[in-house]
Amino acid sequence: MANSASLPALSSSPNDLRKKKRANRSAKLKQCKLDARRDQWLSQVKNKGSNGESSPPIPSTRPTGPRKLDPPRDNATESLLGLQDSETERRIARKDDRPCSSSISSGCFSCSATEDEEEEDGDSTALDDWEAVADALIADHHHHPEEPKPSITAPVPTPAPPSVALKPPEPRAWRPDDAFRPSSLPNLSKQRSFDVGRGFRNGGHAVVSVSVPSSCPICYEDLDVTDTSFLPCSCGFRLCLFCHKRILEADGRCPGCRKPYGMILDGSPPVFLLSRSCSMNIR
Amino acid sequence: MSASNCTSSSAGGGGGGGRGRVRSWSSTTSVSSSGKRIQKEMLEFGADPPSGCSAGPKGDNLYQWVSTIMGPQGSPYKGGVFFIEISIPTDYPFKPPKVVFKTRIYHCNVDPSGNISLGILKDGWSPALTIAKVLLAVRSVLTNPDTSCPVVSSIARLYLTDKAKHDEIAAEWTLRFAQ
Repeated sequence: MANSASLPALSSSPNDLRKKKRANRSAKLKQCKLDARRDQWLSQVKNKGSNGESSPPIPSTRPTGPRKLDPPRDNATESLLGLQDSETERRIARKDDRPCSSSISSGCFSCSATEDEEEEDGDSTALDDWEAVADALIADHHHHPEEPKPSITAPVPTPAPPSVALKPPEPRAWRPDDAFRPSSLPNLSKQRSFDVGRGFRNGGHAVVSVSVPSSCPICYEDLDVTDTSFLPCSCGFRLCLFCHKRILEADGRCPGCRKPYGMILDGSPPVFLLSRSCSMNIR
Repeated sequence: MSASNCTSSSAGGGGGGGRGRVRSWSSTTSVSSSGKRIQKEMLEFGADPPSGCSAGPKGDNLYQWVSTIMGPQGSPYKGGVFFIEISIPTDYPFKPPKVVFKTRIYHCNVDPSGNISLGILKDGWSPALTIAKVLLAVRSVLTNPDTSCPVVSSIARLYLTDKAKHDEIAAEWTLRFAQ
């Protein structure tokens, strides 16, 4: 019970500043959550009793550092934290490792959103891991567009290089649009490249049209897809289906080589097919 | 092939009959398609006219063209300018144009009224041919008469037996009518 009595006393001074902070942010739901969490933590400390005696003071001392400083400057506080305690660094590293697995929330742990949790949860993070992640998600949505900081602050805690190395590239890469962008960004680039490809296609189409005429040489109408794939004669002379039909109805000879398209000269759909197959066999 | 050409050219009515038969079912779209084709040909002709030839629609009628052919060098027709009228049928690319010399010419393949017998203008016609190619073919026939299928057999016979005499007469006609 002595622990429980001492803890509120320690955390009483930071409470005022924290309240100001909260008022500034106007995240009332979060306050409720945090209060509940603090109660949880306190109760846990109580339960721990003799075992957990060493752990509670550490988180209580940690927050005091940043609270004396300007609280809204989250990144500054974090960097300070990182420089002050080796344990905080460990914590940051720990927290960084988690979001890396859940890739969306990764960027926010260098942000202000995590600060609250770091202050309060301290070593009891194991208890509310997913909550922290969820909060980070929410905070990420709120703060992500505004903050250019994480990339700057992340390098400051040098003692934890792997986490730092993992952190900065992600917010930088995903910044432009949203936290949900990462998956869609490649698509965007694909689309762009596709557009470029289209341009090349259009450019290439003219090149292609040299070998395959873009318009029917008989009627000068543009050849559509079926026309371009239509090769009625072995000589390679291409023409549109309409002109081919008319020729079949008249003398039925290929305009290119003057050889008869098919043996049957009456124009009818089956002849159409026959002529094609015959032209294949004609060779 | 030559024999069949001769018969068809002498008959003359065969092609006309065929055209009439086609016209009976030809729709307005076919007319417009031939119009598009002729316009394209006109543009191409203006952009790249064949040597020694000129052609263009008579007035605003796309289906009536007037053409001139310069008598080719190395032929008895050199120095002459031969006027030709080209009548393009409404089902044009599928039927050949009708080519008529308006200038008198001493040639075994051109009858006294100016009708020219040319394989590609009869059975040898292909929708892939154009007015420009037809005029080039006509010009080449002036250099090399097709004596195997003449419309004026006396001229063909003279050409085969006495080419100098034939050329002399042809040059004389060119001087008289084509200049």
